[in-house]
Amino acid sequence: MNEICLKTHQIEKHFGGVIALRDGSIDIRAGEVLALVGSNGSGKSTLTKIVTGVLSQDNGAIIYQDSQVEFTNPMAAQKAGVIAVYQELSLVPSLTVAQNIWLANEPRDKSGFIDDRKMNLLTADLLKLFEGTYQPSLHPEAYLRELPPDERQIVEILKAYSRDPEVLILDEATASLDSKQVNCLYDLIQLLKSKNKGLVFVSHRMDEIFRFADRAVVLRNGQTVGEVVITETSEDEIVNMMIGSDEGLIRDHGRKSKDNHKETILVVENLGNDRLVDVNFSVTKGELVGIGGLRGQGQSTLLHSLFGDDYHTGSIIIEGESLKFDHPKEAMENGIALIPGDRATEGLLLMRSILENFHLPNWKKYASPILKMKKARRDAAQVGDQLNLIMESLDSPVSNLSGGNAQKVVIGKWLLRDPKILLLDDPTKGVDVGTKAEFYRLLRQLQEKGTTILLYSSDEQELLDLCERVLVMQDGTIKADLTGKELTESNLVYFSMGASTNHNNHEVSWHA
Amino acid sequence: MPDNRNSKLTRWWNNLNVKHSLGLSLILLVSSTIISFALQPNVFQEGTIQRVMTSNFRTWLPVILVTIGQAIVILGGGLDLSNGAIVSVGNVILALTVTTTDEPGKNILMILVVLGFGIAAGLLNGFFTSYLGLQPVIITFASSFVYSGLALLLLPSPGGAIPRDYTNAYRNTSLIGIPISLIVIIVFVLIWEFFRRRKYGRFLFAVGGNSKAAYTTGVPVTWVKISTYMISGLMASLAAISYTLLTGSGLSSSGDDMTLASVTGSVLGGISMSGGAGSVLGAVFGGIVLGNIRNIISSLKLDSWWRTLVNALVIVLVLAGPGTINLIRRKKK
Repeated sequence: MNEICLKTHQIEKHFGGVIALRDGSIDIRAGEVLALVGSNGSGKSTLTKIVTGVLSQDNGAIIYQDSQVEFTNPMAAQKAGVIAVYQELSLVPSLTVAQNIWLANEPRDKSGFIDDRKMNLLTADLLKLFEGTYQPSLHPEAYLRELPPDERQIVEILKAYSRDPEVLILDEATASLDSKQVNCLYDLIQLLKSKNKGLVFVSHRMDEIFRFADRAVVLRNGQTVGEVVITETSEDEIVNMMIGSDEGLIRDHGRKSKDNHKETILVVENLGNDRLVDVNFSVTKGELVGIGGLRGQGQSTLLHSLFGDDYHTGSIIIEGESLKFDHPKEAMENGIALIPGDRATEGLLLMRSILENFHLPNWKKYASPILKMKKARRDAAQVGDQLNLIMESLDSPVSNLSGGNAQKVVIGKWLLRDPKILLLDDPTKGVDVGTKAEFYRLLRQLQEKGTTILLYSSDEQELLDLCERVLVMQDGTIKADLTGKELTESNLVYFSMGASTNHNNHEVSWHA
Repeated sequence: MPDNRNSKLTRWWNNLNVKHSLGLSLILLVSSTIISFALQPNVFQEGTIQRVMTSNFRTWLPVILVTIGQAIVILGGGLDLSNGAIVSVGNVILALTVTTTDEPGKNILMILVVLGFGIAAGLLNGFFTSYLGLQPVIITFASSFVYSGLALLLLPSPGGAIPRDYTNAYRNTSLIGIPISLIVIIVFVLIWEFFRRRKYGRFLFAVGGNSKAAYTTGVPVTWVKISTYMISGLMASLAAISYTLLTGSGLSSSGDDMTLASVTGSVLGGISMSGGAGSVLGAVFGGIVLGNIRNIISSLKLDSWWRTLVNALVIVLVLAGPGTINLIRRKKK
């Protein structure tokens, strides 16, 4: 086994009351690629940010080249040779490719002036590593804001490589690259391996983990749960470590499918835009369909497209009628409601009263000739009761409410419209357990009343608990449509990681 | 624009526009200068241009100096609404203390006090906005009241007198036909060019362009931001010196107009309000354009409220122009 060059020991990190990491322990070895694996919110990104000095840990130690270190900022980590290719790109759009790559590391002449010519030549040399995989628009003097995502990613990779790292961390570096570009990255990684550098590879894709890595560490709920040697393991073993064999297997089946074959309400055909590719599915009336997959695979875009908030091609057929929405207003008039993911920016007027927030989409109902405030109040109070909303009065501002209660207001304002189709974009993010339970009850009630619900959630457990059917998305398209016996946690994880589709022994785990 | 896309002129123009965002400000500069001279009587008489230039630049210098400072703050992603008040304090201090040519030592000391005050005021602004991360608009607006209050405390009613020798030197000195005020401007543009080609310039653009990315890349973001406010404070103090030499007296509200002018000038000079794009030369151009507008309106013998109106219209056009064009393009798609 190779020598350990960087070791993290029981790293802990809290964000307010939320524990992001409770025991992050990894050994990075020189001349080896370590894969860091885990599902949404398992703490991979937090751990890489702590190692590179972007965040500081609450507890635990980092041992680098045999001594304990404390990287208080990214500069310190970079000086020591610990460098990352970040998932949220660390590039400045208003600077050129060369300026970005050499930022804070510029080649300078004897009197301290930046040597632009040399910088551009060096950049051209670096770009040769990816030769033939990008458009001619990518050159040292091109402005970053004009480049497509894959070329930005290349710049980000080259930026890290140009700093001559001892330890290089690639956080989802392949997410926007095509296969040719991934091959170039593979060669680059082999080159660094042969120079005895330590590498960490964070990825959601099974095939890449098996191709790039020598070992894999699995994180679950902020905890290191195991380490395996890639050549001695299988995709199944890693998936089982990710979900843990002991949790979440007993489910209360509120989702008794009343299989009396109702009519189809929504058909989506060949939906596409810059984030979505050829999305096809149909939903029957009163169904509660989950949308799963890793974060950022186009789930939100899909919901926003259905709501007329995002440009798209393909067709949306509601109750047999092909509709095209250019504005959310048109979708609303057709009985569609969207409960957005980010309630603070997309869902609420924080400074305004609960009453106003409830009625923002509904004033039309009370409008003639002047606003019928009494009736509006009565209806708002009724919805407040139905949602079990804890508030001082209808007139107090939404900003006074706790996260869970604020989310109820977002839901309430759409309930007043009595929608036919309810779209939910990760609605329980940052909501406490009690409110979640109430929220689940509410969804069931709506479903019984005949409302069709499309729920995207980043919490696999939630999808399993609530839905009779889950569409798993990856790279903007639907990878799997799971119902009945196929709908298991391991299948959800399996398909969201893009594992091979000829896979048949995953029905077992939740029966156990 | 010429049809041949590779012609030298097109390339030069694109370079100017994309790299330094100078295109629009250059057009404004040239057109406003032409109009302003056209309205001038006796343009073609000998010495008129020289005389007009000298008188223009010495009047414009204070505003151009604060605009340079403001431009640097905006480039770094901030905004300084207190620079005008810093000018007032500097002006008041000088008017009260520099009263005779007999004590050059004391006079130099007072100039250093004024410069020191500007830098310290900038440091304070920078500390609150960058180190504590508070809103620049609010912090610098609030601190402007502190500084203008200080100016009023020191000099409740207009007064003070600068020795004639000093003011005459400022008015009439010139080097090979170039007035001293224009030389000062050229010197500052050269100093900027010096820093732009060094690490500091790159850091400034990176911080203004995307401070989070700059931070993760190892740029000392907080320090760069604080330094921009300190530079703005220093430039305001220099503006105070030139203003005092121009008017020869003290007024506790002398810098009040300069704050908005510095923002307007920066915008006219092609500096992006969101930071990270623009150049100091553009800010100088913007300052000159403002001066030209003022001259045009006074040559036309219009009421002075026209100046405010035209300034406002120009700033709205420049700010809203690019956004509107993009919107129309997108709608067409």
